Amino acid sequence: MSEVKFVKTVCRSCHGGCGVIAHVKDGKVIKVEGDPESPISYGTMCAKGLAITQLAYHPDRVLYPMQKTNGDWKRISWDEALDTVASKFKDVIAEYGSEAIIVGQGTGRDYESHFSRFGNLLGTPNILTAGHMCYLSRIGATLTTCGRHPAIDYANNPKCIVMWACNPQWTNPDEYKGVSFWRAYEKGAKLIVIDPRKGFLAKRADLWLQLRPGTDAALAMGFFSVIIEEELYDREFVSQYIHGWDAFVERVRKDYTLKRVEETTWVKQDLIRKAARLYATTKPAGIHWGVPTEQTNNCTDFTRTAVGLMAVTGNLDAPGGNVFHVPPPVRKVAEFSAHTELPKEQVKKRLGGEQYKLAARMTFITPKCAWDAILTEKPYPVKAGYLIGTNPVVSRANAGEVYQALKKLDFLVVQDFFLTPTAELADIFLPAGTWLEQNHVAENWKFHGYVLARQKVVEIGECWQDHKIFMELGKKMGQQWWDSVEDALDWLLEPTGLTWDEFKKKGYLHGDQKYYKHLEKGFSTPTGKVELYSTIFEKWGVDPLPKYTELPESPISQPDMAKKYPYILNAGLRTPTFFHSANRQIPWLREIRPDPIVEIHPQTASQHNIEEGDWVWIESPRGKAKERAKLNDGIDPRVIVAEHGWWYPEIQSSGHGWDVSNINMLTDNSHESMDPVMGATNLRVLLCNISRCEDE
Amino acid sequence: MEKVSMVFRKKNCMGCHACEVACKQEHGLGVGPRLVQVLEKSPDYIPIYCHHCAKAPCKEACPVEAISRNEQGIVLIDNDLCIGCRECLEACPFGAMQFEDSQEIAVKCDLCVHRLEDNRRPACMTVCPTGCIYLSGKKSIAAVFEKATRGGSK
Repeated sequence: MSEVKFVKTVCRSCHGGCGVIAHVKDGKVIKVEGDPESPISYGTMCAKGLAITQLAYHPDRVLYPMQKTNGDWKRISWDEALDTVASKFKDVIAEYGSEAIIVGQGTGRDYESHFSRFGNLLGTPNILTAGHMCYLSRIGATLTTCGRHPAIDYANNPKCIVMWACNPQWTNPDEYKGVSFWRAYEKGAKLIVIDPRKGFLAKRADLWLQLRPGTDAALAMGFFSVIIEEELYDREFVSQYIHGWDAFVERVRKDYTLKRVEETTWVKQDLIRKAARLYATTKPAGIHWGVPTEQTNNCTDFTRTAVGLMAVTGNLDAPGGNVFHVPPPVRKVAEFSAHTELPKEQVKKRLGGEQYKLAARMTFITPKCAWDAILTEKPYPVKAGYLIGTNPVVSRANAGEVYQALKKLDFLVVQDFFLTPTAELADIFLPAGTWLEQNHVAENWKFHGYVLARQKVVEIGECWQDHKIFMELGKKMGQQWWDSVEDALDWLLEPTGLTWDEFKKKGYLHGDQKYYKHLEKGFSTPTGKVELYSTIFEKWGVDPLPKYTELPESPISQPDMAKKYPYILNAGLRTPTFFHSANRQIPWLREIRPDPIVEIHPQTASQHNIEEGDWVWIESPRGKAKERAKLNDGIDPRVIVAEHGWWYPEIQSSGHGWDVSNINMLTDNSHESMDPVMGATNLRVLLCNISRCEDE
Repeated sequence: MEKVSMVFRKKNCMGCHACEVACKQEHGLGVGPRLVQVLEKSPDYIPIYCHHCAKAPCKEACPVEAISRNEQGIVLIDNDLCIGCRECLEACPFGAMQFEDSQEIAVKCDLCVHRLEDNRRPACMTVCPTGCIYLSGKKSIAAVFEKATRGGSK
């Protein structure tokens, strides 16, 4: 019997970052445990990460490349697979141009650098990510407002934490995990929770603001209304470092009286006042905010207003506030991505680039533009797709349209673990490695000041880590890459003086943190100040001041529609077991949450004759989905809360029930409903009706 | 030998279920028996787990004396002796006794006794992000609560 070996690595069952010790026996991972030395997770792990062995060794996992001919999948070699893809891509490029190939990912398996490099060297500007409404949208908005993403500084113990539309105990692990929040909170920080739903944190909060879903930008303006009226701002900072203060104040005074903010947000005036005072007068105070604020038409404006709050209260780049973490001197994702290699004439062809200027500047497109081009061939035909770690027929808005678009492609390549409903539409399937099968300088794209060594623990079947697939396919297309994955990592690490092998032993690097960097060099914006009035937006012909725009589908903006669809659907409730459309086939996780859940207030449920556990149809003007009712008196009776990402791997027929409980059958992706500069999809808030499923 | 007992501070349980998966992994369990389980009644979470009762109803109910209490106070079940009658499942006031269908035997939390021997904490405890699981070396669990309250823990 062989000995158990212990290998330190880094999880990526979500956005990842938690330290792991993998137990390996006879070449197989038999167990994973948290790494107590991890500066990110301090030895803890979540349900998703702990279940990795059930994912990696799942009987349904595809372990070799496959090609579909006449509807049947057939095993092929890597050489055959890559040659086929390269030759098809070359044909498409010759006939229609590189822009006719969409290269797309989901939330990514930490390969953004390689993914973007492949797309850029291929010559396509049509890079599809979740970035238009998830994380990168906040990076874009913060870049234009204050030059860099200011993450909350838990390490320096904020005295007041504003948890805005975020539940880091369960999800959204971008810069910080729930455990970092918890440590700071346990030291006595005041807690303000902004959430339409009474969750674990809302229950414990000093102040809980239960807002109408999607009105976060209006509420942030309400905070400003109090801060301006009571002069709770840092006068010196404002006079030296805010661009456009007077114009901004005028707008707040005119359009955002507390009375009006209460009408818009449903939050009582005195509660807004108390929260604004607590945040503005407790030092240091940090805001930790989540994706629901980004997945609306107010995406960019919310983030800009939130940055404004951090700035005027003196919390920007202050220890324990929201800070610009200094990264270790590793080469950046942007440099590796070779954005400058994309020819200018190709940049100009980016779908929706003229309309969604900030998304274009962040080098991606909003998915609607891709589906439009495929289905209408306008402004030009899109013929091929390469989708990596993404299941858009379940996870993108207006799923029915997505399905039609992908079906229409002449050639589709999918790179993933399982034959998902999206992968079933593909011509070629490339088997990707999990994080247990990956060598990478991890988390290089995050703004927490760390890079972490994710080292390969095992190899499984013929799966390759995504980075290697991009590299080898790129070489077949004549692109410039390194000889091996590890050679590329050596290049990334070069400025640190470490090789990959040395870094791997070290485990992680932390940047040399400094605060108040603006005192020396101002902010990295055109004016050198925090641009509450954006000179960049002004140049683009967009409103330079942030504001709240009424949601495209609400009882206020669509009173007629609201007669038939009287409830506000808050779509996309996160769970601690699933990561978007992933993990539904993992026994340990599915046992915990066997069914898709729709939360309904007991009063509303009784009006519809719905009881706990009943299957319920949720319907919008675009489609319907069924989920199982859970009664929750912690939501407003006018609001319905539903989980997203559901499909049924256990349904053997094709499609695996992708359209049965898929909340994106209901969501809208029309251009009118999106953020005007970012193209953020209004995923979270729409109108719906409910009824009990009679056939269950 | 000093007795040990475990307690979950329900107030700090935020329903992440990490303890459940850590336990399944540690004990090699598949779908079915849940030696620790967190029930959700949002915004409250209720952990169901074995309290290793001093006067254990499961032990008293067992007709074949398959359940015993060791010198550390850990209530253990001997898989070889269990006849699968489920009397213990009915007797447990917490619903902590579980049944393994594939072997037709009752199973229960063993407080990761093999880990305790190596001076390691039970698997569930190591992963909890709020540290709501306490293992006390004292017989009385009251001391844990008293300490938690006095220590300013919210």
